[in-house]
Amino acid sequence: MRRSVLILGLLLASCFSVALRLDHLLQIWAKDMPKKGSLMEVIMGDSRRLLGDYFFAKADIYFHSGYYISRFGGAKEHHEGSGHMAGATEEHEHEDHAGHTDHEEEEHAAPDAPKDWIEAFGRKFYPSEHTHLDEGGPNKHDAVQEILPWLKFSADLDPNRIETYTVSAYWLSQRLHKPKEAEAFLREGLGANPGNPSILFELSRIAASNDKDLDHAVNLLELALAKWKEQEGPKKEPNTFLLEQIYGNLAKLETERGKSEKAIEYLKQLKSLSPHPEAVEKQIEDLEQKKK
Amino acid sequence: MKDATSSKAVIVFDHLRVSYPARSRSAEPKVAVKGLNLTINEGEVFGFLGPNGAGKTSTMNVLLGFLRPTSGTARINGIDISDPRSRQALGYLPELTYYYKFLNAIELLHFYGTLFGMDSAAREKRIDELLKLVELSEAAKRPIRTYSKGMQQRVGIAQALINDPKVLIMDEPTSGLDPLGRNKVRSIIERLKDQGKTVFFSSHELGEVETVCDRVSILSGGEMKVLGTVDELMSEHQCTLEQLFIKVVADDMAPA
Amino acid sequence: MFSRINAIAGVTIKELYRRKDFYVIFVFTVLIALIFASINFFNDTNIVRYLKEITLLLIWIASLTIAISTAARQIPAEKESRTIFPLLAKPITRTEFLLGKFLGSWLACGIALLVLYGFLALLARTRDDSWHLLNYFQAASLHWVMLGIIVAFVIFGSLVFAAPSSNGTITFILAVGILLLGRHLNSVALGLSEPGRTIVYTIYYLIPHLEFFDLRDLLVHSWPLVAWGTWALAIVYAALYVAVFLTAASLVFRKKPLI
Repeated sequence: MRRSVLILGLLLASCFSVALRLDHLLQIWAKDMPKKGSLMEVIMGDSRRLLGDYFFAKADIYFHSGYYISRFGGAKEHHEGSGHMAGATEEHEHEDHAGHTDHEEEEHAAPDAPKDWIEAFGRKFYPSEHTHLDEGGPNKHDAVQEILPWLKFSADLDPNRIETYTVSAYWLSQRLHKPKEAEAFLREGLGANPGNPSILFELSRIAASNDKDLDHAVNLLELALAKWKEQEGPKKEPNTFLLEQIYGNLAKLETERGKSEKAIEYLKQLKSLSPHPEAVEKQIEDLEQKKK
Repeated sequence: MKDATSSKAVIVFDHLRVSYPARSRSAEPKVAVKGLNLTINEGEVFGFLGPNGAGKTSTMNVLLGFLRPTSGTARINGIDISDPRSRQALGYLPELTYYYKFLNAIELLHFYGTLFGMDSAAREKRIDELLKLVELSEAAKRPIRTYSKGMQQRVGIAQALINDPKVLIMDEPTSGLDPLGRNKVRSIIERLKDQGKTVFFSSHELGEVETVCDRVSILSGGEMKVLGTVDELMSEHQCTLEQLFIKVVADDMAPA
Repeated sequence: MFSRINAIAGVTIKELYRRKDFYVIFVFTVLIALIFASINFFNDTNIVRYLKEITLLLIWIASLTIAISTAARQIPAEKESRTIFPLLAKPITRTEFLLGKFLGSWLACGIALLVLYGFLALLARTRDDSWHLLNYFQAASLHWVMLGIIVAFVIFGSLVFAAPSSNGTITFILAVGILLLGRHLNSVALGLSEPGRTIVYTIYYLIPHLEFFDLRDLLVHSWPLVAWGTWALAIVYAALYVAVFLTAASLVFRKKPLI
């Protein structure tokens, strides 16, 4: 008995000594490692981005009530990085400037014919009709909120994916009438991506349409413009679509604030970027008329 | 070796041969039973004796359908053993207690009774009788895993008798039992004998064999060396059954 | 014959419910589902589809685990514990024994599914506007017949493969592989040259297409019911595969020495 206790004691003492030594070595090693952020980053490393992408795509699939476009072989020119759910937000933006978008063409593309009886039979067991949740889906009532969990998971896994925040904000504020939640989510995104012009733009939209705080909205847009010039400007292929949106909204808000001069300035900037300069020119002329 | 057939044959082995495949190409197949011819008659208590590796278990396994004979046949009540109907009137008590430990005794007996096609009322009545016989009425609702070895052996006896079999095959029925247990098994065998049942069992307890058996055979090296009633054998060879057993086995092992 | 098969099935079911595995799996499934149900997404209490999807995924994992682990150990455990000997000493054929084991394992899976889908229905109803009972019935019934295919295959595998663990692992991988990739093999085949194309096409036509029994997407997104004729055809398809696997198992088992 005494011998066993002695051996046990010796073993414990050895373990304790080894642990102390290893702890010291670990601290030296950890000092040299780059600081890690969230638990997800620590556990998953960069593979979390893949999962984040997957969950973002999942949100799009939910938008289509489970319809996987790739299963049916059609819609090959899928909007890069997003899907119809995100594309729907951009359609909304293009209402003033253009008619159809690519998405509407994709939407009506017929699925490929099944290659054999197995595939034909199999299609009866999963969604095989292209619907959108905001058009009522198969259940004939709006259920857009169903995409939110996947967007939230996507943002948690990849907080640097800007689209997750902007798409969520659109659906939350414009369709689900939850502007406060949209703003909170955008601010979360801004925290992870300081000074991002897309997020600032969306925040300005909420300030203008929901809070009716035009001054705050303009401030946000001006900041977005400055950040765009800083971040996007130097790029080989800058996001000019976002710049159009910023100028367009600035012009609109300045008009509402009664500052026509500033509005015209912004419209002139927009004209050089817009694919429909004649429509913009018309707006400039209207404003100049009103000024008179 | 011929055997006497004076009444209805219940178990018949006809040139039964059992061999196991060789373990390697250079080795010969192992022949466990070499052309056994044996008939057990109705109402007999038959002792099937032999040293370990003599072929007793292989013979029993063929009879029970666990093993196919290499050649030859075996029949129970005139039905070939490959037909499951040959086991309709059969009861089997294995050497070790191979029963579902998560069932209790009542559930186990109901299960086996159903396999014999007994209806619910018949099973209830029979199970009651058997639990009294094997003295397990009080422990009947406990799972079998909580039973002692002796109790599990008694469950085994009960399941072997559930269908009121005409033929009972017992593999070392008193193995591992205390004297009380052995006495109980002996009395059950005697009772079955009085009821006209046929009992075919293997055992190393030669004292018991002498007491209960009508006839015995001694197997060695896959062949039946000796067959007859206990009295006949003892008077013929002028020795006890145990001495005869040792002599037969020693003769078989002696170099030619 | 049926009473013998039913008796063996009954003992198999009793065994499953006297082991602790099922309860542990059920508790884990419920716990994880409730954790996901407790997450707040933008203060919206009507979101239900993600919860249905996650719970269904857990149910599928749990049911596959139960089906494969139950079926894989049936015959090997009987042989190992030697309970097969007093059993086959009764007037029962090996085929009846096999059918009884299959029926018991499959019914046990059915009971497990009833409990799990019942939990799902209750959980979803806390947020959904109606019960959708017929949808759950279709999904659960097809899920159950799919498990029949898996159980039959595993029982066949237990007679062919050396150990229950290898049988279980191989079956699990095959089942998941078929669910994820089976439907796409025809597209893969088209992209190959011969003889690869013929080989892949052969596999595509031979494997049981388990995706016919996966109604999760329809259930999650509240699509209308599958046509009852289609549902019935899927069941017939499953029955054919079950018959093939059990026939093969019976042929192997009849020749197999027990000792």
